[in-house]
Amino acid sequence: MRKFLSVGLSTAFSIQLFAGGFQINQQSHKATGMGGAFTGLCIDASSIFYNPGGLYKLKGHQFTGGFTLIDPHVSLQTDANDNIDQTTGNATPFHFYYSGQFINEKLRFGFGVNNQFGSSSSFDDDWEGRFIVQNIGLQTFMFQPTVSYAVLDEKLSIGAGFVYTTGNFHYEKGVPLASKDNEYGKATLSGSGSAMGFNVGIFSTPYKLEKEDYTFSVSVGVDYRHKLKMDLDKGNVDFTDIPSSLRDKFPESTGFTSSLTLPAVASGGIALTYEKPEKFRVDLLYDLTRTFWSSYDTLAFDFENTDTPDSKTPKNWEDVFVHRIGLNITYKDFISVRGGIYMDQSPIPDGRVSPELPDNSHTGYTAGIGVNITENISVDLSYLRSSFERPNASLTTEGFTASYRRIVNVYGIGINVKFGENKTTEAPSIE
Amino acid sequence: MNINFTKMKKLLPILILSLTILSCTKTQFEDRVKNTGSIDVSNYISVGNSLTQGFQDNGLYAETQAWSYPALIAKQMKLANPNMPDFKQPVAIGNGSGYMHLEYIDNEITPIRPSDPTYGGPYREDPTWSNWEDYVKGPKYNNLGIAGIQLRNAIGLDNNQKIYNHVFLDGISTLSVQGNPYARFLDWGDSPLLFGTPKEYVDHMRESNATFFTNWLGNNDVLGYATSGGDEGEFTIPFVGTFKASELTPVAEFRQKYDSVLSALTVNGAKGVCATIPDVTSIPLFNTVTLESLGKDIWIYENDGSTKRIAVEGDLILLTALTEIEDNGKGTQNDPLPHTLVLDKDEAKLAKDHTVLLNNEIKGLAAKYGIPVVDTYEILKTFESGMKMSGIDLNIKYVEGGLFSLDGVHPNPKGYAIVANEFIKVINQSYDANIPLIDITRYRSVIFPN
Repeated sequence: MRKFLSVGLSTAFSIQLFAGGFQINQQSHKATGMGGAFTGLCIDASSIFYNPGGLYKLKGHQFTGGFTLIDPHVSLQTDANDNIDQTTGNATPFHFYYSGQFINEKLRFGFGVNNQFGSSSSFDDDWEGRFIVQNIGLQTFMFQPTVSYAVLDEKLSIGAGFVYTTGNFHYEKGVPLASKDNEYGKATLSGSGSAMGFNVGIFSTPYKLEKEDYTFSVSVGVDYRHKLKMDLDKGNVDFTDIPSSLRDKFPESTGFTSSLTLPAVASGGIALTYEKPEKFRVDLLYDLTRTFWSSYDTLAFDFENTDTPDSKTPKNWEDVFVHRIGLNITYKDFISVRGGIYMDQSPIPDGRVSPELPDNSHTGYTAGIGVNITENISVDLSYLRSSFERPNASLTTEGFTASYRRIVNVYGIGINVKFGENKTTEAPSIE
Repeated sequence: MNINFTKMKKLLPILILSLTILSCTKTQFEDRVKNTGSIDVSNYISVGNSLTQGFQDNGLYAETQAWSYPALIAKQMKLANPNMPDFKQPVAIGNGSGYMHLEYIDNEITPIRPSDPTYGGPYREDPTWSNWEDYVKGPKYNNLGIAGIQLRNAIGLDNNQKIYNHVFLDGISTLSVQGNPYARFLDWGDSPLLFGTPKEYVDHMRESNATFFTNWLGNNDVLGYATSGGDEGEFTIPFVGTFKASELTPVAEFRQKYDSVLSALTVNGAKGVCATIPDVTSIPLFNTVTLESLGKDIWIYENDGSTKRIAVEGDLILLTALTEIEDNGKGTQNDPLPHTLVLDKDEAKLAKDHTVLLNNEIKGLAAKYGIPVVDTYEILKTFESGMKMSGIDLNIKYVEGGLFSLDGVHPNPKGYAIVANEFIKVINQSYDANIPLIDITRYRSVIFPN
């Protein structure tokens, strides 16, 4: 026998996935223009998402649809490289909501489709952190049939939606095993799954002052969107460019199961509205949102191939608060100008900052314009900008430290269509 | 509808200005200022042993010599100071001395020596290796690392030591006694055995006119003992005497010679960096073949070469003993392992304790000369329980650990890049320099077979 030593190999194969907040908050371009504060105000069908309790305020049949262009710019600096740019492209999430008045004044049915969670990040394939991530993307679609009922008319209305989510993700990273032919191998994972949850909200206008030439009202809302535990039981991983002596550990293809928890979100909001009919209207909004990222604590991959080392990555994210303040000024029922700010806490503690989605607590600024083109059709434009730096942030589980800079510009356009607004549904009379 | 467009026109410049500010999406980091601080890198000289020469996979060969840690440090220095002259190394040609590689045989990943008749071929010693001196002797080199050299070989304290060192490094040409094959790029002067004047390693240091140096000598003053299983390696030179080629270098001798080395290197006021000796028991040569991994009793000879006993926990069986156990059936009561293949419990403790003593000398003398120290002893300890760097698992295990080459003693290219980074960190910190660190992901670990 030639051999004088047989070598075992237990090279761990660990996986990082989305170490950053990946919630898409642009679910209405009115709301986006106002810092995202929308729980305490209901002026279009996006309340299906923000607070289904408020649908009572929407008369007739109303549609809101929108596109968002997210344009992220992320750069890193490590001890070895002065600058590394993410090559992430733009994301274009959309949303569509419908609210309809049926049967009587108090009842609404609605439906919403959106991408509430999602993210993608890319790097050049040979970048320094290629053994952590090369490309990664998550896309989710939420479908939410909703019903809302005004229990005590303006004083109290409630709403609830059933949420069905489908999602898919892909993930590519290098595998640091060299052969004569390849400097390193590659793992490409993909998977999809679905989950069910709910979205419930309460809306109330406890105070309303109606004078001859103006009205002033205070409305409040709370909303809770349950977490979505998505089982990814038909995942697949392809290992390419692996030395053939290690194919038992890293086969060309094998299945895996995993699960991903999209966190619960609870919001409370207040809106102060001052209106001089035919002249102008001012809304001042405040929302406090808590996102329960702590439910997203581990991400485990259980590979079908028994020799492939299973992977479990601790996350230990933290629940966070977001403060949102928004202002809307509408002039002569024609043009609205909006502005807002939000203060976002990062869910990612020190030592858990990953290069694909670095995050830090930051303040974002928003602006928006709305135009009522006709009585029934209006268009909203929104702009959001956030930027932050996070110096010397580590991902201890991977042994990676970098300084990060991120600027995100988000552009949105939405269209609202309504009809039958003045229709009063009357109970059928019986002769 | 009554909108005043003239007013809106006045707002236009403000609008454009704010859009310009907002559309700025520059996140790029500026290049950091790089410099070599208070050191002069116009003549960087590295001294040391196999680690410094770029030895790995039990061989010295061209491909990996380019990734010796001094060459890597110099490469980074040059990024900080483009005027730095090229760092010259005595590079082996092609396969050089030949080197180990891995083959996939019967579903097992198996290390192969270059002498292996079936698989060794393409990794065998290069035809030029036997007269390598003809290719490399003459020019001045920056890298003076010599595989196998001990600190105690750097200078002779008496004539007998001078003779021994000269024989060890240069051989005795008149008697066809071969010297250290890795030392052939230097001129060792005339043999003191024949009443000539030798040129000692410390003379080369002094004459190098170093403006900056790294010194990682001392490993073999312990490792030689450990890799011989605690055998002190008697080496007899006719008419001169018997020398202990692999005994643990006595502390007092080590102190005196280390002082001479630093004195020679700093003769022109050069700054530098020294490094400590890693714990020999942190390397795969000593921690791969264990009683647990063998799963059977192993008989060994004690140091006297005749007393035999069953190996116990704490006896360190050398990686190289595995051939004897698996292929030649050694390690049984009738045919115990020779003592040179086992660093037994007591010897291991001696080696460990001696490493600590020598490291104290290194730190003390470096401090005396105002030279900072890279504590490779502590650094290697941090890898014992495993760690990750840039998503890569690294630990001290053989082959799979990602740090060591196939000989189980010397780092692989990634391991050397990590060593170089540790030197650079100390240089940056001690000499107010900003030399960029190496992206270690650019360097491979071992090459797995297909």
